[in-house]
Amino acid sequence: MYYKELYTCRAGGSMPQLVSTENENMQSRYVVQKILELREQGVPLEEIAVLFRSSFLSFDLEIELTKANIPFVKFGGYKFVETSHVKDVVSYLRVLANPRDVVSWNRILLLVDGVGPRTAEKVIDDILKRRVAATPDGQTLPTTKFWMQFNDYAENVQKLFDVLKQASSQNLAPAEKTFQVLQYYEPILRGRYDDHQKRKKDLEMFQNITERYKDIDTLLTDLALEPPNESIVDVVSPGPEDEFLTLSTIHSAKGLEWNSVFIIYALEGRFPTMRSVASDEEIEEERRLMYVACTRAKDNLFITYPMNVYDRESGFILTKPSRFIQGIGDQLLEQWVVE
Amino acid sequence: MKKFTLKQLPSDNLHLVHPQRFRIDYKKELNAAQHEAVTSVNGPHLIIAGAGTGKTRTVVYRVAYLVELGVKPDSILLLTFTRKAAQDMLRRAAILLDSRCEQISGGTFHSFANSILRRYATRLGYEANFTILDQGDAEDVINLIRTRLKFDSREKRFPRKEALYDLYSRAVNTMTPTKELLAVDYPQYLEQETEIQLVHTGYVQYKRANNLMDYDDLLVNFALLLKQDEGIRAVLSDRYKYVMVDEYQDTNRVQAELVKLLSYKHRNIMVVGDDAQCIYSFRGSTIKNIMTFPEEFPDCKIVKLEENFRSTQPILNLANEILKRGSVGSQT
Repeated sequence: MYYKELYTCRAGGSMPQLVSTENENMQSRYVVQKILELREQGVPLEEIAVLFRSSFLSFDLEIELTKANIPFVKFGGYKFVETSHVKDVVSYLRVLANPRDVVSWNRILLLVDGVGPRTAEKVIDDILKRRVAATPDGQTLPTTKFWMQFNDYAENVQKLFDVLKQASSQNLAPAEKTFQVLQYYEPILRGRYDDHQKRKKDLEMFQNITERYKDIDTLLTDLALEPPNESIVDVVSPGPEDEFLTLSTIHSAKGLEWNSVFIIYALEGRFPTMRSVASDEEIEEERRLMYVACTRAKDNLFITYPMNVYDRESGFILTKPSRFIQGIGDQLLEQWVVE
Repeated sequence: MKKFTLKQLPSDNLHLVHPQRFRIDYKKELNAAQHEAVTSVNGPHLIIAGAGTGKTRTVVYRVAYLVELGVKPDSILLLTFTRKAAQDMLRRAAILLDSRCEQISGGTFHSFANSILRRYATRLGYEANFTILDQGDAEDVINLIRTRLKFDSREKRFPRKEALYDLYSRAVNTMTPTKELLAVDYPQYLEQETEIQLVHTGYVQYKRANNLMDYDDLLVNFALLLKQDEGIRAVLSDRYKYVMVDEYQDTNRVQAELVKLLSYKHRNIMVVGDDAQCIYSFRGSTIKNIMTFPEEFPDCKIVKLEENFRSTQPILNLANEILKRGSVGSQT
């Protein structure tokens, strides 16, 4: 490592605290109570974050926060564009841009009622045969004429080609193409997903995103390389003033800062994870994660761990604080117990 | 008779600039270490920027400084971890100085690679409208190949598509033979190495045949293009005379190689990062890049930013202590 010692010209500041609790739920209740206290002292929820090593570690806390009516947003986990219904819609746009995109073809053909893997393969073979004539230079999008070649399929498949033909019109902006695709896709969405109402919201959001684009290639490239709304997974009851608390994995908190930061589950076996213990390199990376987590805090830092957690995989009961903070004395880290 | 010797003027015109004519008072607005980083212009530089030490500010001011010196904005290349980071930095530079800063080329390694590959795809046997596979797509293709080769229906357990993708991706990103990775992470599949390689070969061929690139291909193919085509390498190195890389601690081996290739003509390369914040090795990034930069560029100048503008001293003391207890001893 390059040697360095961080210092500040800011004076004063309260001591970071290490807080142990008897079990997971007490940890959650401690965090909730402390957040409410901080808020009383004038720290708005936006200036508070709860950080954790792995996304699942906040489940119990999420329940307690909901009970206490504290609105929060959680970062880290699945991305919007990784959800299957958004991927479906993107696949239609992708074959419009590149009719050789076999992966997307496969996806959208299998969405057609009555089409199985064998039919899909047949249709794809057929498409690949006609490709060259349509885009000799590989530079331009295939024209409506290209799509006109496909007119002798069974009704269900033909319907798909008709939509693509319509949407391929050069005069249509990406948003308009998306609109046509969505109209076609809506019955599929309803038929496939029980929670289609919720998923429809995502598609509306997707439609809004497409409005910003003039050409479809840029849209698709951005979706692949710079996915929007990176990994907001849960928004729970945002308050009337849109004030909300941040829950985040440490990885997703990189580069950010808050007035007050909680690091929960600083428990040996959770942070560092069981898996990382075997390798020195991985342990050092976990240590750097702890460092990243601590340096997100401006004024207040609370590190917590529950003392009685059963680890199903190993059969162990986890009781010790993370090795990264264990043994650090009161002069650097105040030790607290919750009763 | 007195003699006057004609000298070659430096081509970058930097000798024409007087510091007094700068619009920004760099000395006043930056601390000593930041100032040193900002005003370092030619040659290789490594900026070690601790957490909360004003790294973004330093990058923004350096961009402005280069432009004030007369460096053409479109000859500056700023590579960042997300596109938003690049946009934010360039917007701030534009507010600080003027709109010239908006003409600077900025983005992620992947988006930069993509933009170059769209132009030169045919040189690599691709068409310009290649599709980018995200991780989920890539896994689906791998699964398809696996099924086609009938490795899914055998008695012996065969790795799942997620494990295969992870394996292939890290083999490419870390330039490590698949066998070595298998031995460490998936020893239970070691005896099926031949089959695993066959699926990989099938995956590679399938992408080629169908004009598809996954994330790794963008970087690898870009590096391949630069290596095999001296003309393009020269054109790009001439075009981007000043290369800056943010979050260098989270780059992978291919990215480090790209940095070298892109700056091979001028070696005006500044990498910024914090080895203590390298946390993405599961995606193939390696702390080695930032640690071995001084070996790759022995004449590089190292500047460390240590004054923190975010946290109170008690918090910093704890953070310093956590690092100090690490098993990797302190070097420089």
